[in-house]
Amino acid sequence: MHNDQITLTPVVGLVGNPNSGKSSLFNLLTGLRQRIGNFPGVTVEKKSGMLHIDGVPEVELVDFPGAYSCYPTSLDERLVVQELTNPKGDQFPDAILYVADVTKLEKHLLLFTQLRDLDLPMILVLNMADLIEETGLQVDIPRLSKELDVPVIPVSAREGRGVAELKQAISNLLQNPLAFRHDEPFYEPGALARDVLADLRQELPARNDYHALLLTHHASWLKHIPEPLRHKVQNTRVKHGFHSLRAQVEETMERYHTFEPIVRDSIRHAGDKASKSDRADGILTHRIFGPIIFFALMLLLFQALFAWASWPQDGIDWIFSQLGGGVRDALGEGWLTDLLADGVIAGLGGVLVFVPQIAILFLFISILEEVGYMARAAYMFDGIMQRFGLNGRSVVALISGHACAIPAIMSTRTIANWKERLLTILVTPLTSCSARIPVYVILISFAVPQETVWGFGYQGLAFAGLYFLGILSAMASAWLFKLVLKTQERSFLMLELPDYRTPVWRNVGVTVWQKTKTFIVEAGKIILLISIVLWGLSTYGPAAKMEAAEANAARISQELGHDEDEAADVLASERLEASYAGHVGKFIEPVIRPLGYDWKIGIALFTSFAAREVFVGTMATIYSIGSADDELRIRDQMAKEINPRTGQPVYNPATAWSLLVFYVFAMMCMSTLAVTKRETGGWKWPIIQFTFMTVLAYVSAMVVYQVLA
Amino acid sequence: MPFPRSTVASNFVAGMSGTIERFTNENLAGKLLDIGIKPGSRLRIIRKGPFGGSWYVKIDRHCVALRKQELACIMIK
Repeated sequence: MHNDQITLTPVVGLVGNPNSGKSSLFNLLTGLRQRIGNFPGVTVEKKSGMLHIDGVPEVELVDFPGAYSCYPTSLDERLVVQELTNPKGDQFPDAILYVADVTKLEKHLLLFTQLRDLDLPMILVLNMADLIEETGLQVDIPRLSKELDVPVIPVSAREGRGVAELKQAISNLLQNPLAFRHDEPFYEPGALARDVLADLRQELPARNDYHALLLTHHASWLKHIPEPLRHKVQNTRVKHGFHSLRAQVEETMERYHTFEPIVRDSIRHAGDKASKSDRADGILTHRIFGPIIFFALMLLLFQALFAWASWPQDGIDWIFSQLGGGVRDALGEGWLTDLLADGVIAGLGGVLVFVPQIAILFLFISILEEVGYMARAAYMFDGIMQRFGLNGRSVVALISGHACAIPAIMSTRTIANWKERLLTILVTPLTSCSARIPVYVILISFAVPQETVWGFGYQGLAFAGLYFLGILSAMASAWLFKLVLKTQERSFLMLELPDYRTPVWRNVGVTVWQKTKTFIVEAGKIILLISIVLWGLSTYGPAAKMEAAEANAARISQELGHDEDEAADVLASERLEASYAGHVGKFIEPVIRPLGYDWKIGIALFTSFAAREVFVGTMATIYSIGSADDELRIRDQMAKEINPRTGQPVYNPATAWSLLVFYVFAMMCMSTLAVTKRETGGWKWPIIQFTFMTVLAYVSAMVVYQVLA
Repeated sequence: MPFPRSTVASNFVAGMSGTIERFTNENLAGKLLDIGIKPGSRLRIIRKGPFGGSWYVKIDRHCVALRKQELACIMIK
């Protein structure tokens, strides 16, 4: 009954080609009231939001991934076909807003005619209406609407024009969907498909001939086709010699022939002058200047990351130290105070300090994406990427990986070749993501003196070096994997280079807000949990051992004539050593000693395998337990730490460098492993990824320590 | 500068242009058609990628990046 009457919450799907401005329209209509989930059973991110329209119930607007046609080459496109050919599915829309770029109508109507032939109630949304006047385009809307037999609404997602008309059209359509059904299809399955369809038409759960044809093409991977039917389709295809590719080409050609005259009659372009975008590309994608500009941009990005972020960071630092002090004053001494101030607040503060940097990183990346520069980067570096077994599109993942590996890995879905996509997924986590920033900042201060050479700070150079090490190791690993993995599948570039446009700031804002919020919530949850568990583990221990430790501490203090503060410190460190956390640390100490780490660092490493940014929080918890002062500056406490065996500071340059290298390489992010598992469809690749990264980290850190020590 | 008579688009030099006649590879044809590259479209080679391998191509009024193998299956008249 899905399509014949209004369901409780009608689902309206936004469908269109990539680069049609579909997401801009979605952001315009839903603002920040978006939910991000997954399409059931698959890994593709599902963005949806509620839309209020007078006269009809609340509408759920679902933003489908961009697709070129009903013959998918990428995972994203497959999902669109999967959901739109399954009328019984939960995601099957009651209506479709088909978004097309008015300046590219002659290609964007291909998918439109296919979906209309599936008998889906549709509205054609002509986006980029602002360009109509700007470029002197003439569009005959009534004629287009009549010829295509759907309502046509011009909007400008950029300038927010046409929303009221669009809502009115949605309301009309939902109130009377039957009036929007089409009598005459654009395309009737041709000679190549006639025999196979005659046999299968009654067997397939299809609404019309074209629906049956698509099911025949795609039965082998569509999830809603049961196994026996799949076999039947396959056998019938073989019996009649159905050639899927040939039939697809025939269909596509015929569709172009049908709708090209319609576009020609209703749209008039104003001359073919070289646009600003072409002139910009003359420089930005120039064979020599192009790459130089790219690297200059990246340099500027990382420079800004540190220059702009320092001021809000100081503010956040201050807030958390006030908060910690406030909690102590308000609650007085006690275990709850210690847990809150030393565990939770110190741990959260340690990570939230990096929110400004993370936000700036996402800001830059989403601007580059919005402007259209990412596609150019993919074009320029395709040649190099191919040599490493990757695709030009991998550049997008490798750049976004510097913000967070999770969206970066998800962005690889546009890579159609499985091997290139897999390699990109495997090596992307080696690029230094924003969660490594807290760890780097703290450790670099121990590894490198705060001096400058020719105006460059040593510490800043070390920072740049770590990022470079990350990207270098990613490329080298890709090359190694390329040698091992074999595939016969063809690889494609075929990349659209959309005109440059000033970014829609709403889109940039929504992206930065969502990604930053996700980071805070996800990191916050893990840190909260680990802080509490860790605090418990490091405060309690086996009763006998803890008593022995206390007696031992009392004896040492008496022998050395300690005052009250010194005695408290000795007691705290003896207790930590006897606690459960101490046992864990001691247990792994033999393994990590060749890397220059003691058992306390061992505890931090152990907890970091959940999420690397936990390192800072763990340090805060370990070093502030029992400490009498309220000092939140973790760095100062680490600097005070003395190795009892050598009498030297624990955090000498050798240990710090070894730790830094370990954190560059190690796979310390449960969420990334989970995403790799989802995207590769099993445990095999995440396990391989985890193992090779951790072995790489261990061996390199050992080499670094042994050379420097 | 026009292409020599009926040739594949990979026999190119930057600046050449012509009209697409047909595709010689069905597998690539489906994908090229999907992104709006079709017989009758005007194809113009704009420039070569900085590190080789890819070409900046204009199809009618729209820009795309294509590899040499992809151009090799496009017949120009």
